[in-house]
Amino acid sequence: MFEVIMIVALLVLSVSLMLCIARALMGPTLSDRIVALDSFGLNLIGFISIFMILQNTEAYAEVVLVLGILAFVGSVALAKFLERGVVIDRDSH
Amino acid sequence: MAFQILLNLTIAFFWMILQNSYTSFDFVIGYVIGIAIVYFLRGSLPQTFYMQRVWAIVKLLCLFLKELVVANLQMIRIVLQPKLKVTPGIIAMPTYLDTDWEVTILSMCITLTPGTMTMDYSEDGRTLYIHSIHVEEKQEVIDDIRNHFERAIVEVTK
Amino acid sequence: MTEILISILVLIGSFLSLIGSLGIIRLPDIYSRMHAATKSATLGVVFLISGSFVFFLSEGVFILQLLFTIAFVFLTAPVAAMIISRSAHRNGVELWGRTKHDELMESYPEHLEPERDNEKADQP
Repeated sequence: MFEVIMIVALLVLSVSLMLCIARALMGPTLSDRIVALDSFGLNLIGFISIFMILQNTEAYAEVVLVLGILAFVGSVALAKFLERGVVIDRDSH
Repeated sequence: MAFQILLNLTIAFFWMILQNSYTSFDFVIGYVIGIAIVYFLRGSLPQTFYMQRVWAIVKLLCLFLKELVVANLQMIRIVLQPKLKVTPGIIAMPTYLDTDWEVTILSMCITLTPGTMTMDYSEDGRTLYIHSIHVEEKQEVIDDIRNHFERAIVEVTK
Repeated sequence: MTEILISILVLIGSFLSLIGSLGIIRLPDIYSRMHAATKSATLGVVFLISGSFVFFLSEGVFILQLLFTIAFVFLTAPVAAMIISRSAHRNGVELWGRTKHDELMESYPEHLEPERDNEKADQP
């Protein structure tokens, strides 16, 4: 029963991942794609943490942490790249 | 504040030494007794009782979690209704918080709570631009944030 | 007993993630999509990770990395949302036609105002 519930959750998350990919492919602007990829990264973290339960291994704990960091850094870097010439940022020094 | 925490820790260690048993359980009991002692001595100590601030932080966290759940329920309703009945808008909200830290915490709270998201800040950092997914009256959104979050954050940092 | 708790956590988490992705597909413009992507996806992931954390705690293993990940997701999701939506607005990504106010546009200095195709944006 427990495993069935985990597999159902995995299926739901797969649908969610597919929707993210669909938006990343469709997205009219680059920003839409960034949003979709950011959300894809978050969903992937959840996906792996369910895998940890199913396979009963703690080996993926670091993978979860590093993927979380990479999803954040990646989307921030892409957004900053998009902003390039426009510098209205406050200077704090 | 730092002095009171140090005093409290000293009392906790003293308790452990007197009990002659060094477990984390004894430390917690000693710390609780220390809180009581510092509470009764608060009149003769230089600053206000530091547990007040801890209590304010706990209250802010509870408010934040409650609003996060409400935000998700609202999101479920918006996404699952067959026809979208929303009128989004971008609102400028002046804030009276002083330091950068307070404004940062405020903008994080705004992003993770019902219907609002921080988009940008003005050059002096005293005006936040908020995208709200459903605006009926501009002032209503601003007052909502004022009455909930700004007040709770001021409680913590005053 | 703990299995029921873990199942509830995981099911709520995956449902919220699905809501977030549905929102990304359904909502009309990038700013509204950002709402779905930050709020629902963040809480969904937090539920999933805490389900995993509770599972290993009941087996007697305390995994600190998972707690770190929860804290990290809570701290970074608002920052990523702010930077992405700000860059989109500065690049002139259109707002939905039914959007009422745009006070951010008025705040830009004259020479930095993004170009925007208004005729296209007016259509619903």
